[in-house]
Amino acid sequence: MIRVEHLTKRFAAITAVNDVSFEVSPHEVIGFLGPNGAGKSTTLKVLTGYHTATSGTVTVDGHDVFVEPEAVKRVIGYLPENVPLYPEMRVEEYLDYRAALKRVPRGRRRAAVDSTMERCRIGDVRRRIIGQLSKGYRQRVGLADALVADPKLLVLDEPTIGLDPNQIRQVRELIVELGKERTVILSSHILPEVEAACTRVLIIDKGRIVGQGRPTELRAGLKGGAAIIEVEVVDRGGAARGVLEGIPGVRRVEPGESPEPGLAVLTVEAEPGAAVRERIFDAAVAGGFKLTGLRVRSVSLEDVFVQITTTEEAAP
Amino acid sequence: MNVFAQLKREFAAFFYSPIAYVLLTAAAVLNGVVFLLVIDFLSDPRAPHGAAMQMLFGGTIFFWIIVIVLTPLITMRSLAEERHSGTLETLLTAPISDVQVVLAKYLAAVGFYVVLWLPTLAYPLLLASYSDLDLGPILSGYLGTLGVGMMFAAVGLLGSSLTRNQIVAALISFGAIMVMFVIGIFDFLGGETSPDSVLHYVNLWTHMEEFGRGIVDTRHLAYYGSVSLFALFATVQIVQLRRWRG
Repeated sequence: MIRVEHLTKRFAAITAVNDVSFEVSPHEVIGFLGPNGAGKSTTLKVLTGYHTATSGTVTVDGHDVFVEPEAVKRVIGYLPENVPLYPEMRVEEYLDYRAALKRVPRGRRRAAVDSTMERCRIGDVRRRIIGQLSKGYRQRVGLADALVADPKLLVLDEPTIGLDPNQIRQVRELIVELGKERTVILSSHILPEVEAACTRVLIIDKGRIVGQGRPTELRAGLKGGAAIIEVEVVDRGGAARGVLEGIPGVRRVEPGESPEPGLAVLTVEAEPGAAVRERIFDAAVAGGFKLTGLRVRSVSLEDVFVQITTTEEAAP
Repeated sequence: MNVFAQLKREFAAFFYSPIAYVLLTAAAVLNGVVFLLVIDFLSDPRAPHGAAMQMLFGGTIFFWIIVIVLTPLITMRSLAEERHSGTLETLLTAPISDVQVVLAKYLAAVGFYVVLWLPTLAYPLLLASYSDLDLGPILSGYLGTLGVGMMFAAVGLLGSSLTRNQIVAALISFGAIMVMFVIGIFDFLGGETSPDSVLHYVNLWTHMEEFGRGIVDTRHLAYYGSVSLFALFATVQIVQLRRWRG
């Protein structure tokens, strides 16, 4: 569906995107993840034909964006960051205009606008002026605009920014639903969002792709597939750390913040599997300190993200 | 054709904005005052022989105030506001070419300019009920008004493409149009000038006087057409340049 090869985009002295290559297959939901200013939006702007690449090629649905911009634009439904809309138009009027602009035939336009409004749950504000709508509604009007011509590829730049948690959940559900029948590429710096909606994640930092894979793969790849176990013990003598470090399979023990005097919380990085936790229990019993908590912390995409983007920073 | 969808939206956009009504009122009032003064002036038995409509078209400085001041105000919003609010991004990522976008915006501006002059159609109707009218000069007067307006609208659109600030766009366009007008005025200062001189060729004041008298000089129309084309071409280039520079 999308093939990006050696894409570079420079603005005067700034290189926003630096030699980025990736591919997206049909019916994938791709998450573009990165800190602010990493080059996510710029990549999407080149993809949608708004910006012209400094070098490299971008092909969407078999058409080169630079050579056949209009063929590409016909395939894409794009929701830019900050959702630009004409504030003086009415919702229905705006969507009808956008549908016409996107060459939805006159006879099908009415139905297309109606069904899109229903899908994005903006039917109740169809006669309202866009400028008077709340942020949540405006966001959904923008999403409806992206969807109205039934595009094969949906490009959403920060689709949930500025929404309240309830609205975020609704938009996320909509994205998951949309991903079943088309290709979606969305950018975000909110990790749970990407984790919930995407089949694959591309992590971008400082204009480069620094990691990619399924959310589960990325998690498994972190710290060599280690499991993180939080151990809470009654530890008056302070010997617990040494005992835990001596257990086979434990790689590292980090003391954490004590929740109350006499208790110690230790973060144990160990080989995956239940055997290590069993041994921790046994060692505690043998060592004579009482175990008050034992919890396996799931590695979040946030850990992956932090690790990848900070490691990158340390490199020259 | 989706260009018509864009044209429709651009034309409608004028009427969403209060500026449109201010412009329409200003043009109607100014033209009304000029018409009144012209009629009053010609009613004097000692007045030179002349036709009212001829004086309305370019015969007074008021005509030029309307054309020179109001046209940049029509076009200032066109591209500048789209860039300012970010809607240029949704517009230029829709399946419509940059040329089509600029063309739709230009035709909408010209359309609004025509609307601005529509109320003046009442004057010849009014005059016709009192005396015989020579229709030719009136039509050529409107033709000249349209030609000059189309040229200024193209220059105005170019001004609007250069900035994201409407006021700055209006000032740039106004400045450029003013220069085009004033250069022509120098034609009068040179004493006896040859009709072949460049200054004469760009002397808009004389152009309009001729159109008002019923003389349709295709050289004038060619001048308006070529300036319009150049300005529109430059506008498209600016829009495309933004894709590279961001």
